[in-house]
Amino acid sequence: MTYVNSNNSKVRRIWKILILTTIAVGLLVLANTKLRGFYLGVFLLFGINAMACIGVSITNSYANIFSLGFGGIMLVAAYTCALLTLPIDYKTSVLTLPLWLENLQVPFGLALVVSGIVAVLSSIVLVLPAFRLRGHYFVLASMGINIVMANLAINLRSYTHGPLGLRNIPFHTNVWWVYGLLALTVFFVSRFKWSKFGRALISIGKDQTLAATLGINVVRYKIYAFVIGSFIVGISGALWVHCTGSMHPNVFDLNFVFNIIAMLAIGGSSSITGALFGAAIITFFTHLARPIQEGFVFLGFNVPPMIGLIQVLMAVMVILIMIFLPDGLFGSGKISLSSIKRLFATPQVGKERKEEKA
Amino acid sequence: MGLYITQQLVNAVSYGSILGLLAVGYTMIYGILGLINFAHGEVFMIGAFVCYLATSVYSMPLIYGAALALLASTGVGLLLQRYVYRPVIKRKAPLLTVFIASFAASIGLRHIMMMFYTDKRRAFPIPQIFEKMFLVGGVAIGLRDILIFVVTIVIMSVLTYFIRYSKVGIGMRAVSYDRSTAELVGVNSSKVTIVAFVIGSALAGLSGLAYGLSFGIVNPSMGVTPGLTAFIAAVLGGIGNVTGAMIGGFIIGIGEVLFVALLPASLSPLRPLFVWILLFVILFTKPSGLFKPNVKFEEIWE
Repeated sequence: MTYVNSNNSKVRRIWKILILTTIAVGLLVLANTKLRGFYLGVFLLFGINAMACIGVSITNSYANIFSLGFGGIMLVAAYTCALLTLPIDYKTSVLTLPLWLENLQVPFGLALVVSGIVAVLSSIVLVLPAFRLRGHYFVLASMGINIVMANLAINLRSYTHGPLGLRNIPFHTNVWWVYGLLALTVFFVSRFKWSKFGRALISIGKDQTLAATLGINVVRYKIYAFVIGSFIVGISGALWVHCTGSMHPNVFDLNFVFNIIAMLAIGGSSSITGALFGAAIITFFTHLARPIQEGFVFLGFNVPPMIGLIQVLMAVMVILIMIFLPDGLFGSGKISLSSIKRLFATPQVGKERKEEKA
Repeated sequence: MGLYITQQLVNAVSYGSILGLLAVGYTMIYGILGLINFAHGEVFMIGAFVCYLATSVYSMPLIYGAALALLASTGVGLLLQRYVYRPVIKRKAPLLTVFIASFAASIGLRHIMMMFYTDKRRAFPIPQIFEKMFLVGGVAIGLRDILIFVVTIVIMSVLTYFIRYSKVGIGMRAVSYDRSTAELVGVNSSKVTIVAFVIGSALAGLSGLAYGLSFGIVNPSMGVTPGLTAFIAAVLGGIGNVTGAMIGGFIIGIGEVLFVALLPASLSPLRPLFVWILLFVILFTKPSGLFKPNVKFEEIWE
């Protein structure tokens, strides 16, 4: 590539980015006008899940601290955002809050940021065990944090309305919020991954002791990983609650956690492409394949309704992926955007590559 | 007050036995394969559910139902080992890959049962004879509690003897402590793994039966909470230590019941918090558990 004029390539790159952005915005406008109701909801959920996946992958695959506690963090963030934006008369009728919180009504954008910050603060309960425990023991402890948070949400009735849950949450989430924030996240994380911080995190994930001997401050970088990861995850939880319009202590339970883990496992957690594709596959599969579990007539056979079939299929899918492709579909670089590009590239580029390698 | 506490202790004993029986499977499988068998709670559920189906839907006597339940749970455990864990471990995948597979197996098994029987709670048929109560000095003791406790103690003694003195048991401890060295001196580790899954799953099925008999309720998601609690019991008893797991089960069962009994009623919904806070206390102060663990310990501490 050395003999390509660098100025020329820069211009080409800017053109490429411009064209891609235009196409993306065009698609979003199309989606915004054409999709309604259920399908719009699924489309939004895809964006939200993708964001959650990317946030989770920072701690779980870059830093290799396999945490299942993100359900609890999303729960905290979602309740925070809901409390900040609920209509005041609903709050007075259902909850018993301190006066300042009861009369507080903030714009959606500010509420998102605040809930992200609260998510970061609440992630301290994950950070502490992360420094002491390892492997399966940390997984178990982080899973416990999920259960503890859900239990607290059930019991703190004056703030959360207990198991009855909150309703009347305004539907602020729309295509622009979700995909704007998703684009920001993708941009940020893709820049972050190969920055000094990202490389330090990945080296900690590969071998912690070695990283420490090379002068990487393990404690500090683990805290960074949790801060960034839980900020993104918290914002996705806040978007989720404004997408569904109601909140319940058990929405981010083990099934939800499993869905996110399945997305990362199927897509391949060590790449952004993997997180996006995994989120797409699982979200569209779980929502659009719903009719098959509600019973249908197939070639004269009356197939009875089987609620739960989708989860079973997903579990089988995850097990098969774990057996045959432990890095996920997009994780090991077997299928990625650059490999597709290489497929269509002219043979000359291939020749150059060989020369470079030699 | 003393009578009240005694009554609560008596009630707690059968719950403790259930947790102890379940914890044995966790501790064995963790010791040998180094993985938390998340689907163990579902094996427990299948034991209870098959017995419920046999006795209530197909109206068999309880003894056949129990035999079928043990067979079914052992079968499911072996299938899991053969078709989920073995292929994943064979590829020398990282630990967390195995964990994701076991998580998926747990969700899958639970939803298979939900698919056919929905998640509604069903009444486990308890034969009339088990409802009998004895009054000893003002404390009511149910016949089924005595039965569960006695069976658990007998099994515990036999198992402790088996693990300590039989050839397979010694092999099991050796593989649990150091797999490659054990293989070097001629222990058949795949046979040992299968024996561990058979014993663990059969005891989980038995524990499910005991749960059905003492609580009278079965449903497909019944295995989640006892499963996680039993793993904490295994950690408390020192992972890899079978007797320790049993004793850990009793400690946690009794502690949980006393936690609810002694605190004011307004705090009783916080019951799930008790075990998790206990887990954090154990992991931060003495992660090796109360008794001598039978695994190498680099993998727990930072």
